[in-house]
Amino acid sequence: MSDSQVQLPIIDQPQSNRRGFMKTVGATLGLAAWAAAMKPLLELTEDVNADEFLQNHYRELTAEQKAVVFKRLEEDAKKEYNADVTISDPAPIENVQFGYALNLSVCIGCRKCAEACHIENNHDRASNNSYIRVFEMEMGGIDFEKGNATYDHPVPAPGKYYMPVQCQQCENAPCVTACPIEATWKEPDGIVVVDYNWCIGCRYCEAACPYHARRFNWEKPEIPAEEVNPNQSYLSNRIRPQGVMEKCTFCLHRTREGRLPACLEACPTGARVFGNLLDPDSEIRWVIENKRTFVLKEELGTKPRFFYYFD
Amino acid sequence: MVQAQTPIRSVQKETSVTLSYLGFLRRAAGVATDGKWHFYVWMILLTAIALVGANAWAQQVRDGMILTNMSDHVSWGLYIANFTFCVGLAAGGVMMVIPAYLYDDEEMHQVVIIGEAVAIAAILMATLSVVVDLGRPDRFWHLIPGIGKFNWPLSMLTWDILVLNGYLLINLHIVGYLLYMRYLGKKPNPKWYIPFVFLSILWAISIHTITAFLYCGLGGRPFWNTALLAPRFLASAFVSGPAFIIISMRVMRLTTNFHFSPKPANTLIQIIRVAMCANLLMLFSEIFTLFYSGGSHAASAQYLFFGSHGANGLVPWIWTAMFLNIVGAILFFTPAVLRRGNIRIIACLFCIVGIWIEKGMGLIIPGFIPSTLHEIVEYSPSLIEWKVTAGIWAFGLLVLTVILKLIASVFTDQFPSEASPNQSTLSKENAASAIPAEATS
Amino acid sequence: MKVSAGKTLFTVGLIAISALAAQIYANVEKNVDVETPVRLNQADLFPVNLNAPKLLSHVSTGQIDSDGNPIQLSCQSCHSVRVPDPKNGSQGPLLSFHQDLDFVHGKLVCISCHNPEGSFSNFRLASGQSVEPENLMELCAQCHGPQFRDYQHGSHGGMTGYWDLTKGPRQRNHCIDCHDPHQPAFPQFRPAAGPKDRFPPHHEKGTHE
Repeated sequence: MSDSQVQLPIIDQPQSNRRGFMKTVGATLGLAAWAAAMKPLLELTEDVNADEFLQNHYRELTAEQKAVVFKRLEEDAKKEYNADVTISDPAPIENVQFGYALNLSVCIGCRKCAEACHIENNHDRASNNSYIRVFEMEMGGIDFEKGNATYDHPVPAPGKYYMPVQCQQCENAPCVTACPIEATWKEPDGIVVVDYNWCIGCRYCEAACPYHARRFNWEKPEIPAEEVNPNQSYLSNRIRPQGVMEKCTFCLHRTREGRLPACLEACPTGARVFGNLLDPDSEIRWVIENKRTFVLKEELGTKPRFFYYFD
Repeated sequence: MVQAQTPIRSVQKETSVTLSYLGFLRRAAGVATDGKWHFYVWMILLTAIALVGANAWAQQVRDGMILTNMSDHVSWGLYIANFTFCVGLAAGGVMMVIPAYLYDDEEMHQVVIIGEAVAIAAILMATLSVVVDLGRPDRFWHLIPGIGKFNWPLSMLTWDILVLNGYLLINLHIVGYLLYMRYLGKKPNPKWYIPFVFLSILWAISIHTITAFLYCGLGGRPFWNTALLAPRFLASAFVSGPAFIIISMRVMRLTTNFHFSPKPANTLIQIIRVAMCANLLMLFSEIFTLFYSGGSHAASAQYLFFGSHGANGLVPWIWTAMFLNIVGAILFFTPAVLRRGNIRIIACLFCIVGIWIEKGMGLIIPGFIPSTLHEIVEYSPSLIEWKVTAGIWAFGLLVLTVILKLIASVFTDQFPSEASPNQSTLSKENAASAIPAEATS
Repeated sequence: MKVSAGKTLFTVGLIAISALAAQIYANVEKNVDVETPVRLNQADLFPVNLNAPKLLSHVSTGQIDSDGNPIQLSCQSCHSVRVPDPKNGSQGPLLSFHQDLDFVHGKLVCISCHNPEGSFSNFRLASGQSVEPENLMELCAQCHGPQFRDYQHGSHGGMTGYWDLTKGPRQRNHCIDCHDPHQPAFPQFRPAAGPKDRFPPHHEKGTHE
């Protein structure tokens, strides 16, 4: 029983002094062991800088602060990837709401879209990451349980059709609601973006997303210097840091400049239709008004901006 | 830690409460770190495990979460599983306070403080489990309301942060106040702690309900998207919390002079019996609903209990949990066996481990398998994850040991009281008789 | 018990907080302004360009001249003198040239599209009307109306460039960029590499390749 040992700390009690000394030694040893255990963190210090640590949320940054941040990111890309990149920040276009449609009758499952995404968005080479996952589905239903995203045989295979899935840019996005720190939000043109410098990497959004659209940077992305896409934007395809979430942005660095997204340009069959939902003359509007389109998991009430249809 | 030898000076009446409280804390630190050799062995062992965990975590921060076995398919793993259990433990530790106050069960008051101590340690473990799950712990300040950006009230995670921290503060206040008053030799003023005890009871329910809402609010995860999740969490917390307290009480009885009357333990056992039945009933009705109607909602349950498409990584886990829970429940319903102290501890351990699996590996992981697009990617924790989790438990037990030791010292009057310093010279027998000593086995 | 006042206070507080939270939540619902953009004059827009179809004017004889260059013949060399078989729809009965041609395109015959009146150097519609190369899509559209309609509305056939024609032009594929007129079915080919997941999805043995 410890009680017999627990003596009243009376002044000049020798045992107490010795015990106190032992405790001091113990505490010192403990602190030293603690420092040793935490040593791997020291190896991070060269990557960490105070400016990045103290950087405010993207939407709180003034134009001047943004310029400083973008310059720092460009220097980081040079230092860490030996790539000369420019970081832009295209603003949403007024009266534009982006929408995407995909013709499942035409898609042949060639994964050219996923490949283009991989290159355009500076994804990690080792994991062959892409925001698009193409599912080989069995004819006769839309049953993902019979789907397979890792097929590797000539396409289109008989009896199969193909269903590429990427971010649906939901109007009622569960990921945005989930994020505890507003590191992900919906832009005025409907694109759900992530501030890679604000995200703490809790992955609640990844759990909340019903479409497996979000990706986490489990480690620092590896890209050879010559393969880095130098045309980058802060909210989309710049090389992401380790430990943060990322997602499809409908290539906002392209689409906000009026260009088509990379996945659409890569599509050899024209299964993909992209445009402004507010423009009654746009291709996307024609598809929605004339084709029998559907959205994935409509019952969840997420109101996707990504439509599928068969001819 | 050397403060223990600080000479006691007679404290003038006019000394401010704050200074006096700080003095109490200083002395408490000294007393809590004094003990016999087996106490030091225990503390050193826990420290060593905590350090192994800290080292593993530091590696994970450096090299990325790639060191875990989580993936984009199973994006939460052992850490969040452990978090869920620890929140339950924290809530359960306090919820058994309910009979003490609502029904004016005087003898239960004795274990209230133990429950609060368990709650403090469990909340610390829960918080640490979340911190180690962050990809960017360096950006933790983004979560601080007012300084960062706090997505309240939309994000359930912000609610969880608020209630968990609030709960920690409330319990620190209650434990600190009760010990301090005892230390001063005064009778605690009900005004200063009874409202907080009531608050902590409501708060205990809220922390576990909100933690359940964290999962069941996600429409894309049918396995979690059930209204039964919060009641199930509460029921299982009513088992794990009291079970943990029973073990704590036994350890205290074996290692200190702090003695308990058998009545609180019996009340705790009653609570466990009812709660375990409610938990198993809800688990059963969940399983029935899933399997009888079938369809894609049952896919996760199918994978969890029987395996699916040739993958069956969680099957051993869940059946172990079922076995432990059912045997634990049977033991709790067999009074003849339960009277033996060791069997009682075994029954408690069975229930604790069973619920740890059921709420963790058996609830968090299958929420991700199959994925939202019905891909089956399996998960089993990596060595780093085990090390970090063990480290968190070691740290939690370290904190719990210190608090319980303090409680034992104060309540057996071995702790120098400022009001009556002579009290500390009370003989062992006298100290023990402060509370009627009654061996329960 | 003494604490009833505290309990009441707490309950009232809880209700107040809930009401406040509900209020905040209601305000969070955001409204998206739906405004029809100003219609632009067609002349202000950048063009949508079509890939020009590559047409054959010569055919290889398989022989090499004294300089080592392949000898090619123009269509007219033969077709100006030979009488076409209106019923022929395969390479089988042909005596020379087009021997390696695989023809799998419904029940069409050569002269369904190739115009014998111009010595097979141009095309004709089912009505017999001659088609200029730049309007070749009309020929396909005779049968493939729905595809042509979809194409016109941007939902069939690959493209690059700008979705917003006020900012830049667009380049579009021609039917025959992807569909060989003689065997128009899109050929099977190996897809680009799939995801290299660290933990690949589990598939039952035998059900997937």
